[in-house]
Amino acid sequence: MLFRKNIVKAVLTLLLLWATAHVAAQESASGDHVQVRWLAPEAFAAGEPATIGFYFEVDPEWHVYWRNAGDSGAAPRFDLTAEGAEIGDILWPFPKRLPIEHLTILGYEGNVAYLMPVTPQQDAGQVVMEANLEWLVCKIDCIPGFGTLRLERPVMERSAWDAGDRDLVARFLARVPKPQADSPWQASGLAEEGEEVVLTLQGSAETPDVFPLDGALLTAAEPEVQRQDGSLVFRFQRVPGAAPAQSAGFVVSDGTQAWSLEQVPFGLAEGSTGQSLWLLVLAAFAGGVILNLMPCVFPVLSIKVFGLINSGAGHRMREALLYGAGVLATFAALGALLLALRAGGAAVGWGFQLQSAPVVLALIALFWLMALSFSGLFEFGHKLMNLAGSSRGGSFATGVLAVFVAAPCTGPFMGAALGAAAVLPAVSAMAIFLALGAGLAAPFVLLCASPPLLRRLPQPGPWMDKLRQFLAFPLYLTVIWLLWVLGRLLGEDGWLIGTLLLVALVFAIWLGRTIRRGGRIVGYLVSITALVVAFSALQFREGKSPLAESGAWQPFDPAAIEDARQQGRGVFIDYTAAWCITCQVNKKLVLDLPEIQQVFERNDVYLVRADWTDHNPEITRALAALGRNSVPVYAWYAPGASRPRLLPQILQESMITGLFEDSLRQSKEDDTP
Amino acid sequence: MKNSHNLSRWIFSLLLAVPALAMAAAVPGEQAPAFSEVDAAGKTHTLENYAGKWLVIEWFNKDCPYVKKHYGSGNMQALQEKYTGEGIQWLTVISSAKGKQGHLDPAQALEVAKSHNLKASAPFLLDTDGNMGRAFGAKTTPHMFIINPEGQVVYAGAIDDNDSANPAVIPKSNNYVAAALDASMTGEAIQVASSRAYGCSVKY
Repeated sequence: MLFRKNIVKAVLTLLLLWATAHVAAQESASGDHVQVRWLAPEAFAAGEPATIGFYFEVDPEWHVYWRNAGDSGAAPRFDLTAEGAEIGDILWPFPKRLPIEHLTILGYEGNVAYLMPVTPQQDAGQVVMEANLEWLVCKIDCIPGFGTLRLERPVMERSAWDAGDRDLVARFLARVPKPQADSPWQASGLAEEGEEVVLTLQGSAETPDVFPLDGALLTAAEPEVQRQDGSLVFRFQRVPGAAPAQSAGFVVSDGTQAWSLEQVPFGLAEGSTGQSLWLLVLAAFAGGVILNLMPCVFPVLSIKVFGLINSGAGHRMREALLYGAGVLATFAALGALLLALRAGGAAVGWGFQLQSAPVVLALIALFWLMALSFSGLFEFGHKLMNLAGSSRGGSFATGVLAVFVAAPCTGPFMGAALGAAAVLPAVSAMAIFLALGAGLAAPFVLLCASPPLLRRLPQPGPWMDKLRQFLAFPLYLTVIWLLWVLGRLLGEDGWLIGTLLLVALVFAIWLGRTIRRGGRIVGYLVSITALVVAFSALQFREGKSPLAESGAWQPFDPAAIEDARQQGRGVFIDYTAAWCITCQVNKKLVLDLPEIQQVFERNDVYLVRADWTDHNPEITRALAALGRNSVPVYAWYAPGASRPRLLPQILQESMITGLFEDSLRQSKEDDTP
Repeated sequence: MKNSHNLSRWIFSLLLAVPALAMAAAVPGEQAPAFSEVDAAGKTHTLENYAGKWLVIEWFNKDCPYVKKHYGSGNMQALQEKYTGEGIQWLTVISSAKGKQGHLDPAQALEVAKSHNLKASAPFLLDTDGNMGRAFGAKTTPHMFIINPEGQVVYAGAIDDNDSANPAVIPKSNNYVAAALDASMTGEAIQVASSRAYGCSVKY
């Protein structure tokens, strides 16, 4: 069989030689230590894509090269022409690091197939391909080889393969890098540190081999690898004097498969280095200070401060320190939780507490009771809840509470710091968390500790009751906002469960005050029953998806985004969440304004709203790729741009219109004759 | 953990440094490593000899296909002739160890210089112990370095941007060494100061 086929092949080849007078054009080529032949079907199927290739049979101990040859050597070259078919780029199976004396090269031990996709045209009767090959084969010495290979195959209804060749194609196709999206490791950082380039990968799988694509930037020598709680840090040697690059590409491999990480941008995550840690800590501190002014934190702290006006200096100081301790302890606990989850492979971000319906419901109940108490409906600070009271536990608890209600309010400076914390080693990440805490606690502690500041506070008096009643209103608003978050998490039932709980709590208070004997106990019982019923109702509701976004905004779909970018459209991604107040403000005041929507429409921008309310893992990954783990993030991909531009966390209209100013000016110029 | 890691790195680099004390390569923007080598005619060349002059250093192995590409086509000799004519110094170094591919004793080297029509400023520098090659971090033949009159490396890498072994590609290739020298002679900045040096490994 094989013999007969070979005869047929030989006769065909001879005929070809006669007919076309292509003396060199054969189906195989050979050089020193190398034989090259086609891996192609006997017949192509019309219009059906196939993978074909060149099979290099190499003598033992000799090797041929990968696309990046490494410290010496050269990748093979394929100069291809095809009639009757479309051919794609060469597919390179992932290589092996081979030490050659003092150098490391990237190539193959033994035989290898370089592959390419081929699609025969619908009406083609046959496919004719000619390949001018050049290769280098080395052991220690290197020998270049040249050859011209010709392939003529009929196009039939069905393709026909030699089984052995098809298996060879399949074997090497399995080693061709797959797209980045499928990779079990994702790049979270790439930075230059002197003569080293440091790549950080996220992924819980075993340490992969990582091969650089650009031999002019990075040497092929095996990088040093460190495992830093959940992330892998690879230290590559830069080619001495290599020009600074915008990005670098890599191929990661587990030894049987590989994935490509194309164009990992430098400076992806700030602070994968120790140098900028202090800057990040400073940013975190500043972010913490600004948190005090956020609508979710301010009322709680104001009440606390005014509650302390009429107490003595020593008492005040103790309260301040207890409050600070509460804040720091909570941040430390949150940081530890985040690190523990990260070590477990889960991707989490700041504000993740509010992605849990029970936490939101608990906060609703808490704020509701506080608001009612401020309004004077009942005395807060009784045994029921001692949170805003003046006992020690109270101040500590206020600190804890302040952190929890601050969670949705990512302010300026915080995004970068928290994003870095997600990829930094544990100690540095914890330092950032504690700096945030210190920032949040600082104004309150300062106010309590500084006599000049205290003197400026007005004397206690009846006005304090009025103020207290007034401050109930921001709390009522906070309750409404949290109810809305619950609605986003659970749909309409969220509203129902939340509001019923509110009524039940008021009813319990009313019972407690109305029934003389045992009224308080009845009140407790009613409120506990209401809470139990509400929380168990949540269990049934959780897991249902929130309502879909309507309008021009599309839901987050990486494939659709890629499509739009391929078509040369600009893409604007609004990473948002219902519990993120800053996000809602930006949405209402800027993004959803008719003028802005018109600007987007005029420029044919593909708008994406990536809703992170219920902790979508795909969006978590996309955020990590941008070096962030909190929202809001606004990513703008200009048409044709490979990398996104990140907009500030507090948007203004001019920032959006500014994105299109060049094209606007252009169109105006076109209008004028 | 960090400490032990640094320690192991330190020990590792110490081990590497034993065969070649000066591991520091010639890096663009930094001072060139000092060298002192005897050429095939018996004359000693040191870095100090070339202070105040532009200097090109080229690594050579007569049996390497990539060296053959540039010598067989006359490309390398043309460059040597052109730039030595402009007062630039050019040294061609053989770092092949005794018994390895490309090794030449002084008499053979003089013959090869003649048969190859070498136009460098001196017959081959014979770096048989590999000291100069290792000091420069010469990885391949032909690996090219340019040193300015202040003794700084201004270019390190391949001769051009086409790593084919086929001499036919030379006319279409972008010659980094010529571009860097031309720019330097007219006082312009060098566009490409570093590239991946293609070719055969130096046979230390």
